[in-house]
Amino acid sequence: MPYFAKLFLLIFCLVLLVESRKHRRRRWTNQLEVHRASHIYKKNHDITKNRKGKTEQLLRVDDHDFTMRPAFGGPAIPVGVDVQVESLDSISEVDMDFTMTLYLRHYWKDERLSFPSTNNKSMTFDGRLVKKIWVPDVFFVHSKRSFIHDTTTDNIMLRVFPDGHVLYSMRITVTAMCNMDFSRFPLDSQTCSLELESYAYTDEDLMLYWKNGNESLKTDEKISLSQFLIQKFHTTSRLAFYSSTGWYNRLYINFTLHRHIFFFLLQTYFPATLMVMLSWVSFWIDRRAVPARVSLGITTVLTMSTIITGVNASMPRVSYIKAVDIYLWVSFVFVFLSVLEYAAVNYLTTVQERKEGKHREKFPCTCGIAHSKTIMLDGNYSESDANSLAGYTINQMVPEEEKQEKMVVHLAVSNESNSSKKRGLKGHVGLRIIQNTHAIDKYSRLIFPGTYIFFNLIYWSVFS
Amino acid sequence: SKREIKMRKLDSTKVRPHKTEQLLHIEDHDFALRPGFGGSPIPVGIDVQVESIDSISEVDMDFTMTLYLRHYWKDERLSFRSNKNKSMTFDGRLIKKIWVPDVFFVHSKRSFIHDTTVENVMLRVYPDGNVLFSLRITVSAMCFMDFSRFPLDTQNCSLELESYAYNEDDLMLYWKHGNKSLSTDEHISLSQFFIEEFSASSGLAFYSSTGWYNRLFINFALRRHIFFFVLQSYFPAMLMVMLSWVSFWIDRRAVPARVSLGITTVLTMSTIMTGVSASMPQVSYIKAVDVYLWISFLFVFLSVIEYAAVNYLTTIEERKQLKKRGKASGMYSIDAVQAMAFDGCFHDTDVDMDLPAFSDRCEENETRARAASVANLDTTRIKRKRSLKGNVGRIILQNNHVIDTYSRIIFPSVYIVFNFFYWGLYL
Repeated sequence: MPYFAKLFLLIFCLVLLVESRKHRRRRWTNQLEVHRASHIYKKNHDITKNRKGKTEQLLRVDDHDFTMRPAFGGPAIPVGVDVQVESLDSISEVDMDFTMTLYLRHYWKDERLSFPSTNNKSMTFDGRLVKKIWVPDVFFVHSKRSFIHDTTTDNIMLRVFPDGHVLYSMRITVTAMCNMDFSRFPLDSQTCSLELESYAYTDEDLMLYWKNGNESLKTDEKISLSQFLIQKFHTTSRLAFYSSTGWYNRLYINFTLHRHIFFFLLQTYFPATLMVMLSWVSFWIDRRAVPARVSLGITTVLTMSTIITGVNASMPRVSYIKAVDIYLWVSFVFVFLSVLEYAAVNYLTTVQERKEGKHREKFPCTCGIAHSKTIMLDGNYSESDANSLAGYTINQMVPEEEKQEKMVVHLAVSNESNSSKKRGLKGHVGLRIIQNTHAIDKYSRLIFPGTYIFFNLIYWSVFS
Repeated sequence: SKREIKMRKLDSTKVRPHKTEQLLHIEDHDFALRPGFGGSPIPVGIDVQVESIDSISEVDMDFTMTLYLRHYWKDERLSFRSNKNKSMTFDGRLIKKIWVPDVFFVHSKRSFIHDTTVENVMLRVYPDGNVLFSLRITVSAMCFMDFSRFPLDTQNCSLELESYAYNEDDLMLYWKHGNKSLSTDEHISLSQFFIEEFSASSGLAFYSSTGWYNRLFINFALRRHIFFFVLQSYFPAMLMVMLSWVSFWIDRRAVPARVSLGITTVLTMSTIMTGVSASMPQVSYIKAVDVYLWISFLFVFLSVIEYAAVNYLTTIEERKQLKKRGKASGMYSIDAVQAMAFDGCFHDTDVDMDLPAFSDRCEENETRARAASVANLDTTRIKRKRSLKGNVGRIILQNNHVIDTYSRIIFPSVYIVFNFFYWGLYL
């Protein structure tokens, strides 16, 4: 019996000891609790300062499962979309894409987010709440790169109204594909569109629509591109079908871009036209000046070739011919033809010279003597002799001794040589052809400019 | 032991349960809501120190700037007890737990907060709840540029700050010290521009869906240094035009020379113009440098046309001349200069007209010419005397065509007048 008593006493003492310590602590903490209680009481009036009244608990985020969309299992939730385009940063022909910065706003109603409020004022939050609630998963179809700006914090705004309506806004830069048709470049217009769609939810779960119809799309006043005139922005919506997953709502932001031609006029058309005009200068230069006309022709060909290469550097390699290609290649052909024209003139002149030379030989006075000599001998200037200056008479070179003799001889016989000249004039059909200006040149001076102006008239009326 | 416990409590950083969050009572409050939620808008002061302007791109029409951005506001939830009134400084890790203003740069293309070696973010909390929040940011923002006076232009660019979520009713953004809030490092400079002035301004921006927002502007004006373009474009163009005038002083009988001089200067001008356009955006209006280059190109082109006219008229004159000469039955010989001009071969004596003029046979021709002229000395003199009778013809076939004589004066003077107008208008 004493055993039990000792044990009981020991346990009792232990219990007493523990109790007293607890009691001490309680006493110590009780004082704080007294203070805290009054604090809590005050804090309860200001709901933001209540430990229990955190946003999540204000909005009762933990009470619901936000991985499921609002009205899960029921009808599709309508999500309105509103876009304000801040800028069109760039349009790239080579990559066939465009880069746009926009404010994308979503409007939907989630009753799980409704909260009691006396003044019907909305609550604004930044990006940190987005991870905890449900938001629509809109993406840009055919986009190459995109990002939500995140300086200084994520550019995201969430505004919750007491009845559960939500406004979700973010600032995005997106680079999206645009199929461009360059067959009328640079007199072309491109139509590009940015497409929004929900990634996971089909037509039966999420209905995407333009909040204010065609007024949903706004642009900053000073949107402008250096190379294009932006004609209009308008919105459309359609359904898109994917065979594996079904029908989705798709919204389109369409805009048309009209290219400014002035830069290309200055850079490409004008130099090409000037080069063609420069090649016509060759028809007015004396045909005896072989090096001059040839270098003029060939240098204009070189410059045209450089202009053509310059244009193609900034263009994608398409498989069809562009409007600017037509112009440059036709101009190139004109320049090329002026070189060929001079080759023809030169060749025909040589041929005629030879004929003339043979023709002269038949006359007694000039027999055996290079017809070129007759110039010096009788002073009659004949066109063929002028041409021989340029060297068409190599074959008829006479050795020097002969020259002297024959010259002396012919000084006395000047009258006869006059008559021979007259006789030469009988064949004057041939002489007429061998003028200082070849007939081809004379015709070319009219034909080339006329044809080029005609081509220009047709080109600009077709493409403008 | 009681003393030890008391001492430990005095140094609050070394007590295990008293973490920063509990020092600042972070768990007690909901920092997703702004200070004064439901009440009046919270004023947030902004201070900017521009560290550098990294680059200005004409092709993209944007500029890149690095700056220290400082926010000042008061959040009573962050007040703590202190007897020394000293502030507490924190780095970036506290930011995720408290409320900070969500300022963003309107019209920015790319931006980032530097994060080497750790995020360049500073938070300083004062005992009364005032907060200083500082960041180091690099931002590329759009700047609309007008190139109609390029390269003698001045561009005005501005960087705009605004809160993303909170409109005027919730957050008032203002420059902390008025116009002096904007300070710059002394050695900010750009290679191509002279930075004229930095100024700060503020305004309101309206969004139809979301309301009125406070917007702050950092404006600066940039004046381009023209020296590079003078060296790169204006000078070569001017020299090419002057080179084309050389053609008027060359004998008009030197056809290949004058034609190739003219055409090569045209080619060079064309290359200079292509070079300038390579580094420029493709704008739809004419720039000042385009005006200059195109007018210079026109001068060079006209000198080629002028020679075509001279050559054509010379040929006509020659023909008339020689028809006349034919009746007078004088002699016609070409002197050495004329022959040389025509065929490009060097003749040191007067030659007879029958020599072939292929340049590859120059030496042959020359020997024949010499032999012929030696043999023909007497006859040459006779020829000359007789041809001097046709004196009238000789005078018209001067070495200088009248067009050339006038061109030598007209072209340079018109070009100089153009230069006066141009530089007077644009400078």
